[in-house]
Amino acid sequence: MPKLIIDDISVAVPEGTKVIEAAEQVGIHIPRFCYHPALGSVGACRVCAVKFLQGPFKGVQMSCMIEAADGMVVSTTDPEAVDFRRHVIEWLMINHPHDCPVCDEGGHCLLQDMTVSGGHGMRRYQGKKRTYLDQDLGPLVQHEMNRCIQCYRCSRFYQEYAGYRDLGVMGIASRVYYGRFGPGTLKSPFSGNLIDICPTGVYTDRPSRYKGRRWDYERTPSVCIHCCLGCRITVNVRYREVVRIEARYSPTVNGHFICDRGRYGFFYASSDRRPRKARSGGAETRPKNARDEAAHRLEEITARHGSGSVAVVGGSRSTLETLAAERRICRQLGWQGPSLFTGTEESAAARRAAGHLTTDLAVSLEALKNADLILVAGADPINEAPMAALAIRQAARNGAHIEVIDPRPVTLPLEYVHRPAGTDKISEILRGLGKPSTEDASGDIQDLAARLDQSRRPVVVCGAGKIASERTVEQAARLARNLRRAGKKAGLFFVMTGANTFAACRMAGDPADLETLLLMIEDGKVRALVVVEADPMSEYPDLARLVDALAKLDLMVVLDCIDTETARAAHVFFPTQTFFETGGTLINNEARIQQARPAFAGGTPISQTGGGSHPPRVFRDDIPGTEALSAGQLLMDIVSALSGGISRSVEEFDGVAPEFSGFDPVEATGERGTWAKLPLRTAAGPDSPQMGGETPIKKGELLLVESVYGTEALSRSSPWLQELESEPALTLHPEDASRWGLQHGDRCELSTEAGALTVPVHTSRSTAPGTLVLPRHRRLRWQVFQHFRSGLDTVRIRKTGGEGA
Amino acid sequence: MSSQETKKYPSVLLQNRHPDRIATLDEYRRSGGYEGLTALLGAGNPKQAQQVLLDANLLGRGGAAFPAGKKMMTIAENAPFPRYVVCNADEMEPGTFKDRVLIFADPHQLIEGIVIAGYAARASHGIIFIRPEYEQAARIMEREIEVARSEGLVGRNILQSGYDMEIVVHRSGGRYICGEATAQINALMGVRPNPKQPPPYPTTKGLWQRPTVVQNVETLCCMPHILRNGAQWFGSLALTENGAGTKVFCVSGRVERPGCYELPMGVPLKEIVEVHAGGIKNGGRFKACLPGGASTAFVPARLYDIPMDYESLKQEGFRLGTAAVMVFDHSDCLVDATVNLLDFFARESCGWCTPCRDGLPYIRDLMKRVEAGRGSTETIEKIETMCRHMWSAYCAFAPGAVSPVQGLMAEFKDEVMAHVEQGGCPFK
Amino acid sequence: MIPEPTLSHLKDRIAAADHPRELVVDVMFALQEHYGYLSDEAVETTGALLGMSPLQVEELATFYTFLYREPVGRYVIHLCDSVICWLDGAESLRDHLCRKLKIEMGRTTPDGLFTLLPVCCIGYCDRSPAMLVNRKVYGPLTPEKVDELLEKLKQESE
Repeated sequence: MPKLIIDDISVAVPEGTKVIEAAEQVGIHIPRFCYHPALGSVGACRVCAVKFLQGPFKGVQMSCMIEAADGMVVSTTDPEAVDFRRHVIEWLMINHPHDCPVCDEGGHCLLQDMTVSGGHGMRRYQGKKRTYLDQDLGPLVQHEMNRCIQCYRCSRFYQEYAGYRDLGVMGIASRVYYGRFGPGTLKSPFSGNLIDICPTGVYTDRPSRYKGRRWDYERTPSVCIHCCLGCRITVNVRYREVVRIEARYSPTVNGHFICDRGRYGFFYASSDRRPRKARSGGAETRPKNARDEAAHRLEEITARHGSGSVAVVGGSRSTLETLAAERRICRQLGWQGPSLFTGTEESAAARRAAGHLTTDLAVSLEALKNADLILVAGADPINEAPMAALAIRQAARNGAHIEVIDPRPVTLPLEYVHRPAGTDKISEILRGLGKPSTEDASGDIQDLAARLDQSRRPVVVCGAGKIASERTVEQAARLARNLRRAGKKAGLFFVMTGANTFAACRMAGDPADLETLLLMIEDGKVRALVVVEADPMSEYPDLARLVDALAKLDLMVVLDCIDTETARAAHVFFPTQTFFETGGTLINNEARIQQARPAFAGGTPISQTGGGSHPPRVFRDDIPGTEALSAGQLLMDIVSALSGGISRSVEEFDGVAPEFSGFDPVEATGERGTWAKLPLRTAAGPDSPQMGGETPIKKGELLLVESVYGTEALSRSSPWLQELESEPALTLHPEDASRWGLQHGDRCELSTEAGALTVPVHTSRSTAPGTLVLPRHRRLRWQVFQHFRSGLDTVRIRKTGGEGA
Repeated sequence: MSSQETKKYPSVLLQNRHPDRIATLDEYRRSGGYEGLTALLGAGNPKQAQQVLLDANLLGRGGAAFPAGKKMMTIAENAPFPRYVVCNADEMEPGTFKDRVLIFADPHQLIEGIVIAGYAARASHGIIFIRPEYEQAARIMEREIEVARSEGLVGRNILQSGYDMEIVVHRSGGRYICGEATAQINALMGVRPNPKQPPPYPTTKGLWQRPTVVQNVETLCCMPHILRNGAQWFGSLALTENGAGTKVFCVSGRVERPGCYELPMGVPLKEIVEVHAGGIKNGGRFKACLPGGASTAFVPARLYDIPMDYESLKQEGFRLGTAAVMVFDHSDCLVDATVNLLDFFARESCGWCTPCRDGLPYIRDLMKRVEAGRGSTETIEKIETMCRHMWSAYCAFAPGAVSPVQGLMAEFKDEVMAHVEQGGCPFK
Repeated sequence: MIPEPTLSHLKDRIAAADHPRELVVDVMFALQEHYGYLSDEAVETTGALLGMSPLQVEELATFYTFLYREPVGRYVIHLCDSVICWLDGAESLRDHLCRKLKIEMGRTTPDGLFTLLPVCCIGYCDRSPAMLVNRKVYGPLTPEKVDELLEKLKQESE
């Protein structure tokens, strides 16, 4: 540990720490523009200059470029260094426009801060300012090149860190320009980070442009709910409207960045289509009436058919508190469920994954970056959990070997080996690799087996939901455990289906999934459904069957914050608060418990109530649009109105599930909270009983998959993300395509007994032969295939457009 | 002085120079060409070559004057392969054209130099990085490499020694910064040619992350002669104790006979100008010169007798640079000349670091004000402060760029102040 | 479209290269030769040949002096304006050229024959003032010599 003195303060830091970082440890923030902890040092901006008084370096030097060493004496306040830094600021300000009053960066602009703190208060330069033409970078990011101070952060983030190639640096000398080859939407699903990392206002948030100044916003730390990773975010609210999401630093989860789905998926929260009123029979009603009606009818049904005739259907976008409420109610009242998964296989895979995650195997997103070999099995990180792809890229940049075993044409922004294998083959390959002796590995995976053998920190990234089977999950866990037993620092990282899937695994009741529950509806055992923050009619793969089943119900009560098809079909509907309003607890894919506080009190945004004028001219003492309650609270309210009902706080967890006894959400505040992680088994017990082999796919199968935009329940209504969606298409191997006389660019009709849809055809050689891939896209009526993985014997394919059609 | 007889010095690098054509392989061989290489390959000891180069005190002729032997020796014994030798024929320092003259005079001298350097570094690839203005020189090199290949001097199994080395010509798209070794390596890899601050040094991780030796054309051209005649001989060529070898001086500006002159290291400046370049044109008086390209400081007339070698200039606070002697006479306004130099640097800055990218145009503008008679003592102070700060830029470009300005301020302050006091340029 | 022989020659060279990207400047020059300047299409083709994005090619194309991202005349005149040529009258030569061609620096004559660009020291300080026309050097120049040369080039082009 080198020991050095910075401004008379002695500090010891780990080997390899840069002086700028060492200073930070003793609370000295040395100015910086090009340096960024995630991007590293490049010495371009020169504003981090300090004076080295003693030690191996002498004079004014850049604190980002020099590693702390024993005997160094550093001054950040030396007049020479201060004068140099002042000049750097002056040079940067030569061309910077004084448009701070209309710049969205104003108030949180690093350049503004440094200009003031650096003492550059008077313009001395008498020449003209350089100007640039801006580019249209798409709906998310606004470009204002005149503000640029050429720190190179954007191009370094975009190309080096994130691995996309359509934004970079052009020109030379004082005409250096950052942008694209031509105007157009940025291709990276991480493009919004440009806004956060730009030290000034070159890249600003486009949807929230001119909606307010930074200091006007109610800013609240929160957690992203658009996938299973639980990245940390900051929510910006103004006038009862969520206007902007920013990445919030987390040393263990997302680091400094988030994906664009997480950043721009929030539109639903303040949409004018958001349901604000309770409804009965489709007509708006007072909340109390709706509650009484729901309670009354539930009571009637249970009186006639028994308590088991009511079931709760929930999902993974609910908070832990809501899920616990569902579970408590079902247990105490003898209701069915809660059914928190869509399908039986999905439920089995997810719950097996949650069961296999042990404290020694679970790795964080941050730790994924340190792996030296990553095996991705049955997962498509960019589409299912984008930030995982960014973490995998960092591992690859550090030299890790990356291999993907998946039937989909997985694309990652990095170099990797892809083995397109059918869903029934993934577990077999993993099993071959997982054997204690790799000699048993079959020929074509010898290579991978050998690499695994040589690796020291391998991580298995495995899907656990609709695509990867329970057997795949099982074999992935066994492989990770065997690698661990072989003395490696092996890890296991499951990509789950929703923000709170891990919690759902613990809270799901009987039946755990809707597919099983449907049988109970169909045979008349279940007569009433309480659907909480779920939308079976958009999420269940066999819509015809679902509709028939729902028609048999005496009652369907729906609680949700978005206006879904299911909500519209409800007998009684209750609007709920969004996660931004309730806050609450989420458990991410590595069992990390994360808590968010409410970001605001809710209500209809002023932009919608003000009649276009601002401030609103009509004053009232209530906040319009605040009927909504948290789903958990509503549920409790309904139940407490039942005779013999229960009345408990949603914040109590005792008795809900064993590992939650004593759980206090307030204590579980994340990084250092006493409940930072859900208690897992500390080490693996004996291997779980051997399961039977996979059912081999005979004629091939059609997979209904997730895509980065357009499939996730909440973000898919974002108009900005909708602009980024590519037209959903059927992807298959070109040789398979020719079996049906199809080629890339054709259109085809896919039909089953339940219906048909027409889509463009994409061919890709990285799709597993025999596999057809179709996104569960909002623009497709895909709910005709009955299963997320359906055999091709039930699907007809017919060319409807293209050459020779 | 101009009437003084031209002194005779041994011609080494330019001994086969013809006014109108290049020297052939035969001519080069007749003058001892490829003997050094033959002996080296015969002895089969790369380390020996490194040692001889070190002993010869061969300093890099591209401007930085780093000992060539020492550079070779920094390649670790167990460093990975393939290794590269990059011949820097980018020569974009204003006033400098010796590499062009060397290539046109005797291309095989350079080829032998590259192969020798390659053998010493155990490199298998040689790349001649050449500026686009020298397209003709590039074609000459390509043609002569093929001649050398047909004679077994380049390619596989050179001179039956078992040593393989390929040499290719790489054409630059043209930018001053590409002459900087690390920027040149980036240019070769097809990425933006910004310099890269070491460590790692190119000899550790250079081209394609492999050990790479970047040497100037003239440096490489010296190598065959050192190998053939020995380190001591090379040392004895210089007129001064600390110098070694000859130096190809490019003389330009206000002289009768601008051109390239190969003279012993340490030859007095006055002799270069007055004797070899024919004296100041049109009966003018020597006022100052830039001794080694645009990124060196003005040498004033009081140092007219200074021996032109690295050490002697250093002792007076100057740099020999590329030994491109650009001469100004009594009628030239050095402030105006400095504006021109700053214009050059501001335009050629790669744009990587703030001082260079934004500070140089600022200094240029301030200097323009001074030249136009709109400067004040405050302007001068500002210029001086900013010039001082340029030394904290990312690479050596900005310090080089302000060297003439700082020289101007140190030696010709009166002339600068005359602009301020008279409210205009005294020379106009 | 690029003629097939040019394209296949480039493809062969790329296939033979240890590191295709080292050829990027050569490929750009070759395509510039074909199009007369480095057109958008040329940038895109360069990218496609070398597995680079158009932006990555553009990052380089906009860096170098001798790659022209805008159309240029048949004869591209690069007039050296660095210190030695400047000392020897490059500025008056520039003014002469501008007057003669009736264009400003950086422009192309309406007949598409000449483009006038400044360039930093071209390494012909022994022949100052000097300029390049399509990378061939001329110097030392006088206004008369410039006139002669322009006339000769005009005739050649007819």
